Amino acid sequence: MGSTNTPTDYLPIVLMFIVALGFVVTTMVASHMLGPKRKTKIKLDSFECGIESHGNARLPFSIKYFLVAILFVLFDVEVIFMYPWAVNYKELGIVGVIEVFSFIALLLVGFYYMLAKKAVQWED
Amino acid sequence: MLNGISINYYILLSAVLFIIGAVGVMARRNSIIIFMCIELMLNAVNLMLVSFSTLHNDAKGQVFVFFIMAVAAAEVAVGLAILSMIYRNIKNIDTDLLSNLKN
Amino acid sequence: MLGYTITQWLFGILSFLAIMFGLMVVFSRNPVNSVLYLVMTFFCIAGHYLLLNAQFLAIVHIVVYAGAIMVLFLFVIMLMNLNEDTEPQRTWLSKIIAAVAGGLMLFVMVGSLKGAGDMGLQQYGNAQIGFVKNLGAVLFKDFLFPFEIASVLLLAAMVGAIMIGKKEAGES
Repeated sequence: MGSTNTPTDYLPIVLMFIVALGFVVTTMVASHMLGPKRKTKIKLDSFECGIESHGNARLPFSIKYFLVAILFVLFDVEVIFMYPWAVNYKELGIVGVIEVFSFIALLLVGFYYMLAKKAVQWED
Repeated sequence: MLNGISINYYILLSAVLFIIGAVGVMARRNSIIIFMCIELMLNAVNLMLVSFSTLHNDAKGQVFVFFIMAVAAAEVAVGLAILSMIYRNIKNIDTDLLSNLKN
Repeated sequence: MLGYTITQWLFGILSFLAIMFGLMVVFSRNPVNSVLYLVMTFFCIAGHYLLLNAQFLAIVHIVVYAGAIMVLFLFVIMLMNLNEDTEPQRTWLSKIIAAVAGGLMLFVMVGSLKGAGDMGLQQYGNAQIGFVKNLGAVLFKDFLFPFEIASVLLLAAMVGAIMIGKKEAGES
């Protein structure tokens, strides 16, 4: 790869996005145009076993699942520090291994805390 | 010039984004929106760091952004945990109602 | 094209979109819409990173912010069932005061920028600088201690989130 970098280098990626977006838009528009439309009140209603539907469709769901999402964010950030190490693995040698493993060891403490507290266990 | 764009424009863009975040913090009452505006302010600062890192041809600014990302993630994790606990207790996250610590 | 290079066009479009979406975050009344606009702002900022030759950072920015942090926000908003009806509003007076304060802050920043003049350093960015290899070399040599401390920070956040978020056995 050359040392100069111009926006035109991203042309293939832009093309890919255009094709992906174009495909979605085309199929959605085509299905709207081609499909027959017969809208009635009963057809558009949400089906609730014959009971009249009422209220908002967006209901709050259980808060239990929330901790999983939080822990995912933290481990996700950990991974961004891993990529630079993986690419520089040979240059950093054994010192780099020690550095990164001490990093991971601290996070493993958190991981075991999580397991010990049963933070991700599904309770009722 | 970075790539045909003066650094001043990047400073201006970051300043505008930062102030949009600051106004959001001042003008909204929903705690979660306030949190999001803080994220926007952090990102304005990140943009500034990256543009200066490119200007000076120095990777340190970009490495610094990684640390800001780690701090932002930690902040969001703890902050949203606190907010969801507040919601569980008082069923509201309006900042004007969260003044119990005052007295 | 009208005397501007393609990079300058991209910069202009991305800046405009970033500021527009940023304003929509503040002004939209539905919190879910706010989150989605903020995700769009982050995509625009990632585009700026690409223009600044920070390729790895652009990808990481999308993965961490748009992919993880904003999903967490969306999650919390949905489990609190916030929507337009429940959204608390400030009075018009305090909204105007906030806007004026923000305008003054912008005025001060732009004023100081005008005083600074154009920066003396005029350099073309080296395209190699944003590569993962380059960043790794700096991260593991100059920033080794902050890197190790970052793990302590993440550990503290993990323990804090579990302590706060975990319901105790006896709690209803």
